[in-house]
Amino acid sequence: MKKVAKTKLAELFSAMAAWGKLYVPAVSDGIVNFVPWQEGLTVALTALNVLVPPKKFFFPQTETVLSYEMGEDLQLEDFACRAGERAILFAARPCDVASFAMMDKVYLDEPLDEAYRRRRENTTVIALGCSEPDEACFCRSFDIDATKAPGADVLAIDIGQELVLVAQTEKGERLISVLNGLLSEATSGDENRVKDEQEKNEGRYVTSVNLRGMMEKLDGMFAADYWEQLYKRCIGCGTCTFLCPTCHCFDLQEYAAGRRGERIRCWDACMFADFTQMAGGHNPRPSQKERVRQRFMHKLNYFPHQHGDYACVGCGRCVRKCPVNLDILEVIQEVGGAVDGL
Amino acid sequence: MAAVIGWRKKDFWWQSPVVFLEDPAAAHRLVWDPFTVYSPVKFLLEWQASCAAKVGIFVKGCDSRGINRLLQDKRLERERVVVYGVPCGGKADAEKIRASFPAKGIKDVTLLGEQLVLTVGDREVRVAAEAYLLDKCLTCRHPNPVVYDKLLWEEVLPRQRADESRFARVQAVASLATEERFFYWQRQFERCIRCFACRNTCPACNCRVCIFDQAEPRWLGKANDPADTLNYHIIRAFHVAGRCFECGECERICPAGVPLQELNRKLIKDINEAYGDYEAGLDATDQPPLGTYRGEDPAGFDES
Amino acid sequence: MPVVNERFEPLIVAFCCNWCSYAGADLAGISRMSYASNVRIIRVPCSSRVNPGFIIRAFQRGADGVLVAGCHPGDCHYHSGNFFTRRRLTVLKQMIEYLGIEPQRFQVRWISGSEGAKFAMVMNSVAEEIRLLGPNRKLRDVR
Repeated sequence: MKKVAKTKLAELFSAMAAWGKLYVPAVSDGIVNFVPWQEGLTVALTALNVLVPPKKFFFPQTETVLSYEMGEDLQLEDFACRAGERAILFAARPCDVASFAMMDKVYLDEPLDEAYRRRRENTTVIALGCSEPDEACFCRSFDIDATKAPGADVLAIDIGQELVLVAQTEKGERLISVLNGLLSEATSGDENRVKDEQEKNEGRYVTSVNLRGMMEKLDGMFAADYWEQLYKRCIGCGTCTFLCPTCHCFDLQEYAAGRRGERIRCWDACMFADFTQMAGGHNPRPSQKERVRQRFMHKLNYFPHQHGDYACVGCGRCVRKCPVNLDILEVIQEVGGAVDGL
Repeated sequence: MAAVIGWRKKDFWWQSPVVFLEDPAAAHRLVWDPFTVYSPVKFLLEWQASCAAKVGIFVKGCDSRGINRLLQDKRLERERVVVYGVPCGGKADAEKIRASFPAKGIKDVTLLGEQLVLTVGDREVRVAAEAYLLDKCLTCRHPNPVVYDKLLWEEVLPRQRADESRFARVQAVASLATEERFFYWQRQFERCIRCFACRNTCPACNCRVCIFDQAEPRWLGKANDPADTLNYHIIRAFHVAGRCFECGECERICPAGVPLQELNRKLIKDINEAYGDYEAGLDATDQPPLGTYRGEDPAGFDES
Repeated sequence: MPVVNERFEPLIVAFCCNWCSYAGADLAGISRMSYASNVRIIRVPCSSRVNPGFIIRAFQRGADGVLVAGCHPGDCHYHSGNFFTRRRLTVLKQMIEYLGIEPQRFQVRWISGSEGAKFAMVMNSVAEEIRLLGPNRKLRDVR
């Protein structure tokens, strides 16, 4: 267990940036996002969730898959082998870190996504424990502890004047050894403070949901009237899906310019009317009702059936950001489990 | 009436979403509180397309101008809607409250005249409301509904100084040099996640098929790259030029905080200066300025 | 980017009204007037046919400058199309300038069918202005 004084963080960032591309949370015009670190940047250490979840580092909103050029022969270039420069993600919150495991189930399973794999492999994730979950945070309900992040390479815990750093994987140990000159040994007092933080965590949530039986209950609800009531106020924007750390759907687009072109993969949202639009004009999800149902069924029924986990980490982004307050807390509450503490 | 569209309370103190009530016995669920911001007006489009029955709707001043917007665009059958006008003293900004009070401890927030009354834990706190209102409400010129069948209570006075601040941000950015303006807007658009919430919430964006959703020809690439995002924002703003009635919802609900209202107001300001003062949504029978002309109009280019 | 003797050659898209400016281009041609070869003309039935989307799209796909040319006010073949153009494109022009695009990149001019010389002169002057500005990078699709 190592530690670093918060006053020394600039030096630490500088050393990390020399080792790999460093991304940190920072505020711009009131919005917190992960941005490339640079000298003099103020790192938003107390901000909870960044706006755009860090899934974008492994599954970018827009990426070129291949390019082609027609000369004498057809020249094809595959972009997957270019993906994955050495990078460090600093201060990912435990809920977002938990989402990586879900993305892995999709993209590291067969057929394996090479670009995704390379990015995952070459990125060292430093999680930062949360000392104050807000009222829309409900990660605890998904067995995520906001002061622990088993999926991260390094876990950082804020103990006041200092950050304690714990390497949790080989990748994490490698990074810690690179930074060793700037770190000091954590004392047993520090260790107690970390323990103390972790013990207090449980009592800091005000919102929790009961998911018992949720998946089974939804098994019989595809044709339920419930969706008829629920969807009406949905405006069909992509806020919930694009900000969701576990949403992983994409679209492939062709960009052609004369004799050359690119194939681009970009995020898509099941809330959009053209998500399931067929070339011939048919749309199997003709109204917003089917689209809203799809989103919640995917998260709370199809995904757990397929992969064993609910596709939600309780980060609360949809709760905070949905323009019409149509979020997963409401669905969980109304379909089955109770929401406590509201 | 088959239903009324109003607002209800949800889990948290800052959530008062739109609700469609069909059962008169459930009328007690309707609320009017500092967070009943989201305009129910655009839902009338789908209602009228899918149901022949009459519907009732509650509208604030800004929302009522949305009704006129839809009427003027020939997208609404007025006789199938019963409009309940609600004079509005402004709505609260949850972020501003959150910045001053512990959000987890807040139990209730109420507006009493010019005072905001918060129940935090077990104590009651009274503060001057103005500091906690939404920015868009501070520049609101028409807090009273301009079209209604029944007005719920007495009209309120428009906020003083609303006019002064209306174009303040536009002027501030316009005074920058070309390159600075470009980087300012790039920084704003860079955050855009292309969720289309601004378009989807806007009563002036009521085309049956939006050009941004057309696959063939595709006007807007799906990839989120800077040129396409700029393209989107130019065309969106231009499409509501002379038709935007300044409800400010596009900017308020933008998850990425893009100052869209500033862009809309730039167009309003230019149109007012060149073709005479015009406020959209006040009268459903007039002609929007870009849908008409005068022979002696000035031009913003070399006419020689 | 076409580069000749290290001199930047801009690509300019000119949307020309069929009834006046396009005829003006024709007159410039049959009168053997030479004008900048940077201009690519797209014939439209009326200047009011030019959707702002066309203009932005032209910039995205590589134009360094865009010109919309229509009939003089009062001379519209369809009675009043160009009056609408005047309002619309004035607003559009001011908006894209507000967004930080150089004002010279997007221009609107009135050129009649009898103004072959004016057509040639406008094309030359627009080409020269855009040449001085350099390539359009702000509105161009990066791919």
